[in-house]
Amino acid sequence: MALRKPAALGDTQVMASTIDLATLSLELASLEASARRGAARTLGAVPEAVPLLCDRLAVESALSVRSAIVTSLIRLKSERVVEGLLPFLRSEDTGLRNAVIEALQEMPSEVEPFVAELLADADSDVRIFAVNIVSLLPHPSTPLWLTQVVAEDEHVNVCAAAVEGLAEIGTEHAIPALEALPGRFPDVPFIAFAVSAVIRRIRGL
Amino acid sequence: MSAEQKQILVVEDGATMRMFYRDVLSRAGFVVEEAANGFEGLERALLGRFDMLIVDINMPKMDGYELLSRLRNEPALRAIPMVAISTEAGDQDAARAYDAGANLYLVKPADPVALVQTARLLTGAAA
Amino acid sequence: MPLSSAMTMRQGHPPISEEEYNIFFEFFYRRTGILFNDKKGYFVEKRLHDRMEKTGSTSFRRYFDLVRFQASGEELQCLVNIMTVNETYFFREDYQFNALVQGMLPEIARSRKIGDTLRIWSMPCSTGEEPYSVAIQIIENWSRADDFAIEIRGSDIDTRVLNEARQGIYGERSLHRLTPALRAKYFQSVGPDRFQLREELRESVDFSIANIVDPLHTTRYRAVDVIFCRNLLIYFDDVSRRLAVEALYDCLSPGGFICLGHSESMSRISSMFQPRKFGDTIVYQKPLGND
Repeated sequence: MALRKPAALGDTQVMASTIDLATLSLELASLEASARRGAARTLGAVPEAVPLLCDRLAVESALSVRSAIVTSLIRLKSERVVEGLLPFLRSEDTGLRNAVIEALQEMPSEVEPFVAELLADADSDVRIFAVNIVSLLPHPSTPLWLTQVVAEDEHVNVCAAAVEGLAEIGTEHAIPALEALPGRFPDVPFIAFAVSAVIRRIRGL
Repeated sequence: MSAEQKQILVVEDGATMRMFYRDVLSRAGFVVEEAANGFEGLERALLGRFDMLIVDINMPKMDGYELLSRLRNEPALRAIPMVAISTEAGDQDAARAYDAGANLYLVKPADPVALVQTARLLTGAAA
Repeated sequence: MPLSSAMTMRQGHPPISEEEYNIFFEFFYRRTGILFNDKKGYFVEKRLHDRMEKTGSTSFRRYFDLVRFQASGEELQCLVNIMTVNETYFFREDYQFNALVQGMLPEIARSRKIGDTLRIWSMPCSTGEEPYSVAIQIIENWSRADDFAIEIRGSDIDTRVLNEARQGIYGERSLHRLTPALRAKYFQSVGPDRFQLREELRESVDFSIANIVDPLHTTRYRAVDVIFCRNLLIYFDDVSRRLAVEALYDCLSPGGFICLGHSESMSRISSMFQPRKFGDTIVYQKPLGND
């Protein structure tokens, strides 16, 4: 026995099958995870499928299917996708929340119109997630947004997250807000530590 | 490295926060290694020999709860003491971390004195 | 981190501080999954300085901003290309071939019957060194090889390398890791610095075209037990990397394994897999359950 030559696949390519939204939406609810993954993947080329994918994301339990849905939503990125994903930032499901944060980081210009509102959310956890999203956006306004958070946000963990973001992309403009921060949270050693590390980095010391 | 020195793996996505933990714990005599998300933490834990893990809850790719429960399912790792740290201060968040396998739950930002005390207690390191 | 050499200032180049290096590596790893070890200090520094010069960046800070904020991602891709050395030869990163016969295959074999088929896929296979190394490793070093029908496939997106792979003719460079005994056993000289793999071995591997991010291609590969996908994903952007890894997941049997290149990790791509340690190496396993 040992080695046996597999049946030849050759260099020929397979033809695409047609996309039928009704069938795919049934498959997205199939009992088989592999069928749900397949449907989620195919729907990544169908802009009308955004609500369908978001609805499934809310109830999907298999990690692999969730991942396929998120990938398809990233491929379909639009303001509609952002609107569909933002409610999940309030989910109790940590894994889902973090998957959504990763997806939003992939669509900077689509997220931009929502940034101000997110950074002003009443829930400090949502503001932390907003800072996490903003920190990794390849968007020119990012340093400014983070500096504003450092200057104004009342919650220590929101500010800490913003300082963390500025460590990578902070500029001279952020220094006054950073320097004022340890005074606002004198009992938190991490803040003083992080601020001095970030200022050192900005000044290139 | 002397026989006394205990090794701690810090799993946290914030680079500055990791620097802070490293600073605090290495001053107290611990050897610190870092991982930037839960999955990386699991890989490092499999490859290394750690006396304690510090695990952040909100992380990309694999969150802290998932990491804790996967660690508790690894025969070679399940006995390592694990400290969960999260920004979420609610009772249900602590309960979830304990269910997933944490030995202790601290709320962010963690106080450096408490962190060192916890590390000494859980690793059995001398003060 | 290559700090000692990073700190040395090369003439005519703005220095790169320790902190800047750390931040750069953090970013580069997050985006590409490529980890640097200490040995690459000079290598990394020189290439960074070259790119700074070519892009007219007056400080590392300016260069980093260009890489980080450039919408096209062109400069990041350029960095990936120059930071990775892509050469292929027999038994490259052979610790993984050892993990194959000492860990992965024995584990898979435990749940199979004698006579069952085991499937191994090398993707991308380039000119064939990797799938043929797998074949040699199995014949030489797996005691249960004769109990199973072992199918090895090699795929690549480039049809030119596939034709070369089918021919199986290599130069000295490709063979430098092979012992004289293995060379004598599996190769015959066909000209100056030309060695052709013996026909039986060439006939044991099937080569086919595959674009890993195109589902129409990847659905042709199913129930694979071990995939070697080394040093490919680092060339992809985030979305393609996600698509690729999700496609590979569907190609695997439950409990099947993926091997990535030595500086790569799944940790920045996906948590669908379970990291497994065999010897000193980590490979990634698809969960066994009904998924």
